[in-house]
Amino acid sequence: MRARYGGRDPASIMSGKNTHKAATRLTLKSQLAELSRVWPWVDALAAEYDLPEETHFAIDLCLEEALSNIIRHGYRGQPDHDLAIDFTSLGTSVTFVIEDQALHYAPGEPTEAQPANSIEEYRPGGLGVQLMRRFAGTLHWEPLPHGNRLTIGFTTAQPPGK
Amino acid sequence: MKISTEELDGGITKVVLEGRLDIEGAAAVDLKMNVLAGSKMLLLIDMQKVTFLGSMGLRSIVVPAQTVHRRGGKMVLLAPQPMVEGVLKASNISSIIPIHHELSTALVALK
Repeated sequence: MRARYGGRDPASIMSGKNTHKAATRLTLKSQLAELSRVWPWVDALAAEYDLPEETHFAIDLCLEEALSNIIRHGYRGQPDHDLAIDFTSLGTSVTFVIEDQALHYAPGEPTEAQPANSIEEYRPGGLGVQLMRRFAGTLHWEPLPHGNRLTIGFTTAQPPGK
Repeated sequence: MKISTEELDGGITKVVLEGRLDIEGAAAVDLKMNVLAGSKMLLLIDMQKVTFLGSMGLRSIVVPAQTVHRRGGKMVLLAPQPMVEGVLKASNISSIIPIHHELSTALVALK
């Protein structure tokens, strides 16, 4: 049997007896290496709120694309800035809000992947935003006076369990 | 992210990927994937144990596929998990790099 997506035993994530709740905020430095801190946090939230595997996968995908874009393009690789991710759960949806102090960016207009006639014609650039738009339930960007706020929503089939 | 290879009959090189093909995973396999694409003609990429695929991981597949194609070779993907296959389809890569769910059909496609 294939392991549950995330690859970890939820019981081990939740400190053994489910007495420890996952934090609803994670702060990162603007370094790609910091992304390794995101996945255990999402694993813990997925276990605590009993999120479906597909939702968990979509969250990982959208957070990787969003955070890596902010770090590489918004902060232009400068490593000492901050990002904050806030998690909320309401009804049948869960939401992640990413705030930064990076240059303004606006995720591109919705586009569909353009079919290529051959492998040689295929250009992988811009796939990140495309994948976010495909896998997120909702995606909303707004400029802040000194940064950006990106809100990414996901719908679950049932209210996230507790 | 782990990568290993196995030489099969007919000059086919089976490349087994295992783990998360995210930014970190892509960095771990890119060099070996590019070396294989520059030296082998028929690549069977076994994706059964790839649990996650992001845009940087997609590049780790597309760029070697373009290299091997330019050299006159072929690449096919074997048995991605459903959510990983969803990423391949959403990015239209599945339309240019064949996906097979059975080893037997993947081997035929490489001949």
